Amino acid sequence: MTAAYPPDQHLLRDLRFSFDHDGDGTSSRAWMPVVEELCTDTGRARAGALATLVDVIGGGLAATAAAPGWIATADLTLSVVRCARPGSVVEARAQVLRAGRTTVVIEVALVDDREEDVGIATMSFAVLPRRDSNPEVDRMRDSPSTMAMPHSRLARPLLDELGVEVRDAARGVVDVPVIDWSRNSMGAMQGGVVATVADVAAEAALRSATGEPVVVTELYVTYLGFGRIGPVRSTVDILAAAAARGTARVELVDAGAENRRMTVVYAVATRDLP
Amino acid sequence: MSDAHATDAGRDVSRYMGMTMQELDELRIVGHGAVAPHLLGRGGSLRAGALLTMIDSVGGLNAGLAALPDGWVVSTNLAAQIVAPSRAGPLRFDSGLLRRGRNNVVTAVEVRDEGAADTLVASGVLTSAILVPQNGPPQWDRPLTLDTRAPTGPSPVPPVPEWLGVRMSDADAIEIDLAAEHVTGGGVTTDVVLHYLAPNRIGPIRAVARTVGMRRDGAVLRVEVCDVGAARTTAVAVVTCATTG
Repeated sequence: MTAAYPPDQHLLRDLRFSFDHDGDGTSSRAWMPVVEELCTDTGRARAGALATLVDVIGGGLAATAAAPGWIATADLTLSVVRCARPGSVVEARAQVLRAGRTTVVIEVALVDDREEDVGIATMSFAVLPRRDSNPEVDRMRDSPSTMAMPHSRLARPLLDELGVEVRDAARGVVDVPVIDWSRNSMGAMQGGVVATVADVAAEAALRSATGEPVVVTELYVTYLGFGRIGPVRSTVDILAAAAARGTARVELVDAGAENRRMTVVYAVATRDLP
Repeated sequence: MSDAHATDAGRDVSRYMGMTMQELDELRIVGHGAVAPHLLGRGGSLRAGALLTMIDSVGGLNAGLAALPDGWVVSTNLAAQIVAPSRAGPLRFDSGLLRRGRNNVVTAVEVRDEGAADTLVASGVLTSAILVPQNGPPQWDRPLTLDTRAPTGPSPVPPVPEWLGVRMSDADAIEIDLAAEHVTGGGVTTDVVLHYLAPNRIGPIRAVARTVGMRRDGAVLRVEVCDVGAARTTAVAVVTCATTG
């Protein structure tokens, strides 16, 4: 399936990312136009959308750093410090912090088109033996490039496209199907989408707990297994809740695979970003 | 447990922290640590750096035991949220296995203050890489009990900043916390993600913090730890530090 990844109708095309990679494989840049469909009801880009940008640029750079081996994402962290509003463009600047025999660590700085910091992210990866089905890294590093096709765009809000269904806001129970539009090259739910599901679940539960329109500003995502069947289902434990800030632990399972645990996420939600 | 493959398997740090650790059934570890005077910060609660180091010790031991008999582990990254100050103690660290893969082990650690009605203090996840030590993995009687409360350092036990002057490894979390506190003028660390990139071997060890941005709940900082003598970056962290200003 990798030769045709992503398919013409796919999240990574519709987000209209563009890329520029350096020659020596130690850094890459990517850009994401912020559109209303990516935003929360407070009018700022959702943390999960930013995490998807981070996942794509970080994963591509890590694959280069791990070559000829391949990679599995172990974790993704994101701290948001400034709103990214519709009409702006977020740039992700990724660099390799460590490229070892067993692990690769990537740092991603997020800035807006005024060169203001939007956030900071990190990712780490386990290095694995390459399989024939893994994508070719050289092809991924054509530069500059974009995955977008002429018709690519979000026709509806991101959460609607993903099929997000909030079943119990207070407990953070959210169901999301695993659909072709949001699969990764391994056929499972894409890593940034997994972060988005946790974002939505934490936001719902922490808004209920705090009584405030908080939005997720920190995500610490630990990937334990793939979500291949679906629906992916979340539950949330509130760790702390005050007026301006809440902290939650989110667990995601693949409900269609006997509730196999996929991901553990710590999320912080706050009010009033600059 | 950044140098867990060494003979003493991180116990020097555990001794300074004054911890006990016990293996329970199904590879669960319970640890206990005191809110000792030499580990307190300005506000009279346990320093975040000390708390993170304890989490790393307990979660790392859990991961190491899960890696046996194939190998032992080194910590690769730690993410933790501190949700309440720890002032009473003793603190209880409950560590459980989330995943044991071919190359790495993921453990979750929850910290509660038994002296404050079992209040949740912190929760975190530690990822460790499996390595095969040169002399093989440690051999221990199981179920394992480690009592590392007897300090081996100078007496009386020095407070953290002075202790750092004679330590060069295992102290990344403490360095990072101190740097964050300094750059924010006395802020308190609440959230940390820490990537261990390389061991500190020569020294001096230097932590440099940069403010990425300010939010209503505090400052978000990037902290880089360098082994100056080896001219290399040994750890990078992103820290949220609650500020009063």
